Amino acid sequence: MTVPDEKVDAVVVGSGAAGSAIAAKLAVGGKQVVILEAGPERGNDDLISSGIWARRLKWGGAPVIEDGENPVGNVFNAGYGVGGSAMHHYAVWPRLHEEDFQSRSLYDEGADWPISYDDIRTYYDEVQEECGVAGDAEQETWRPPGAPYPMPGVPLFRQGEILAGGFEKQGMATAPLPLAITSTEYKGRAPCIWDGWCDSGCPIGALANPLTIHLPIALQAGAILATRSTVTRVLTSASGEYVTGVEYATETGEKKQLMADLVVMAAFSIQNPRLLLASSSGKHPHGLANSSGTVGQYIMTHPAALVYGIFAERTQCYMGAFGGQLVNQDSYTKNTHAESGAFGSYQWMIANAVKPNDLLGISNTRPDLFGNDLHDFMKNSAQHFASMTGVIEDLPVAENAVTLSDQLDANGTPLAKVTHTTHAKSKALWQAALEEGKAVFEAAGATEVWTGPQAGMHIIGGTVMGDDPQSSVTNSYGQCHDISNLVIAGSGLFPTSAGVNPTFTIHALTARAGDHLLANWGSIIP
Amino acid sequence: MAQTRRSFLRNTGVGLLTFYVGGCEVEMTPQEAREREIAYGVLTEPEVSTLDALGEILLPGSAAGGLAHFIDHQLGASPEDSLLMIRYLGVPAPFAPFYQGGLAALNALSVSNSNQPFADLSQEVQTELVGQFAQANPDGWQGPPGPFFYFVLRNDAVDVVYGTQEGVESLGIPYMAHIEPPSRWGE
Repeated sequence: MTVPDEKVDAVVVGSGAAGSAIAAKLAVGGKQVVILEAGPERGNDDLISSGIWARRLKWGGAPVIEDGENPVGNVFNAGYGVGGSAMHHYAVWPRLHEEDFQSRSLYDEGADWPISYDDIRTYYDEVQEECGVAGDAEQETWRPPGAPYPMPGVPLFRQGEILAGGFEKQGMATAPLPLAITSTEYKGRAPCIWDGWCDSGCPIGALANPLTIHLPIALQAGAILATRSTVTRVLTSASGEYVTGVEYATETGEKKQLMADLVVMAAFSIQNPRLLLASSSGKHPHGLANSSGTVGQYIMTHPAALVYGIFAERTQCYMGAFGGQLVNQDSYTKNTHAESGAFGSYQWMIANAVKPNDLLGISNTRPDLFGNDLHDFMKNSAQHFASMTGVIEDLPVAENAVTLSDQLDANGTPLAKVTHTTHAKSKALWQAALEEGKAVFEAAGATEVWTGPQAGMHIIGGTVMGDDPQSSVTNSYGQCHDISNLVIAGSGLFPTSAGVNPTFTIHALTARAGDHLLANWGSIIP
Repeated sequence: MAQTRRSFLRNTGVGLLTFYVGGCEVEMTPQEAREREIAYGVLTEPEVSTLDALGEILLPGSAAGGLAHFIDHQLGASPEDSLLMIRYLGVPAPFAPFYQGGLAALNALSVSNSNQPFADLSQEVQTELVGQFAQANPDGWQGPPGPFFYFVLRNDAVDVVYGTQEGVESLGIPYMAHIEPPSRWGE
């Protein structure tokens, strides 16, 4: 699509979960919206079921320099092209708990959010109805209050049944994993066939990704989506009091400008602060919206606790959803493992569907094996393997941050450098979870049990929201404290990572922000 | 002749690569490319010999499965289009120096230890060397970190052998592709 020459109401930077959702809200609300996407155009026909092919859904833009003891894994976690990282997300959509919003007040650890669960509850309800979430609210005894799921829980395959038995023997509960995947036909969308190809992108509309849900709504309402349009700078008025649009580079490298009343940064947790820092000026010498000095700070990820096992019986481990079949949140209360020096929440995603190859495939659960030993392991594991993944809370640390490198990309924009070292209490929580996970597998009757290394799952923070302009970048709607018509959307806003997957909360926050922007447009726009 | 980005993208996902034979585009799997002795674009013949030998130690059958053609073809792609797993392992593009540096280091180690290139060693000695650099950089190793090089090449071999529809089904499990789904959202 062609980017207009004239000023528009809103420009949205990025077409992932947050970008497509805010674009849909604003466009349906009557605003003229242009979405600028740095990566390529992508349609359902491009979503080939293959762990090899799926690598093209991963970040392919300017290099990100990673540092620290526990890198966040930008290329693996971020996306590139239409739909962003949501095109390869696993659609595990649990809600945050009430205590996630009050971690500092309740435990003197982490940070408080500028909102409570009650402020976002109705948006969770609205989003789950719009996007379709399958689950069993009654069986999720840990679940905070909210409307029941609009679809029944996902079916159980043998791997799930086996591991559920292990949890039961340990006196622990399980419930269907809440998934934004169709367990039945839903609003014209076909039900999932549980083939385990979620991270290759779902081409049949069963998984609630931007191509299925919000981009069609946005485009139908008149939004323009321009691909291969890489934003290089956010533009400000002469006074520096408000933003006036963005500068972007076309595929040929030509620099252009698009003027807009509202700029929404939805380019994920690393590129958003990178662009704000790179947009410094005389009025904003330390970067845009950075009077607090916190732009780029508090980058978080979820240290994944990976537990694997072999069972005597066949597990059907290739069936189901990549995210899993069941959930357990028995350890969600943040001081559950305090005696181990740990702090934070976690949940288990139980019985992940697996494929033979790729980073999370069966072969890499035993990277020490090669030769015929590897062949033997693959043949046995394809039939008898099981796994589950703990989503571990990562405490926010100011030094875990995005900064600008001295190196420039092809458009002349400084590269992002991301430093991340997991907090000692989060590492202790990861270790405690692994011990618990191994005990569950042994109780389930595994003949072999082993664990994987710490790995980063999701990228969170970098432009955190808060009530205090001295210690946060935006208010609870994502509006920058310094500049009212500059809005951040996405997981970069989260002051804490919580112990659940972020995408449902990204959508709920974005829906709330969209309503606020539309209701207060006159006072927000200069 | 450089193939178009579109033809590169169209075919690689289903296991086919586009090669140029006599000035014409020919689509074939890495295994077929190997059988037809299609010329390499990035790797040299000695590098291919080392790579084939290494692949056979890492996962027997990977050389015949077209490991070298798969890697060589992907090294000719832009980082954005690359299908190699190395793209998300923190190695800055271009990726050819990583592969070529690792293969050179392995050969140098082999010559230093046995006065022979890696491809000419017995399988027993090859296996011993792979076991060494998989654990830590051997003395005098001059290349990308040995354990990481092992990890990347091992994954490439697994991709070629078990990452295709045929490979998955060889494990006795169904592939269940969405390539031709019964219905597509939005149509």
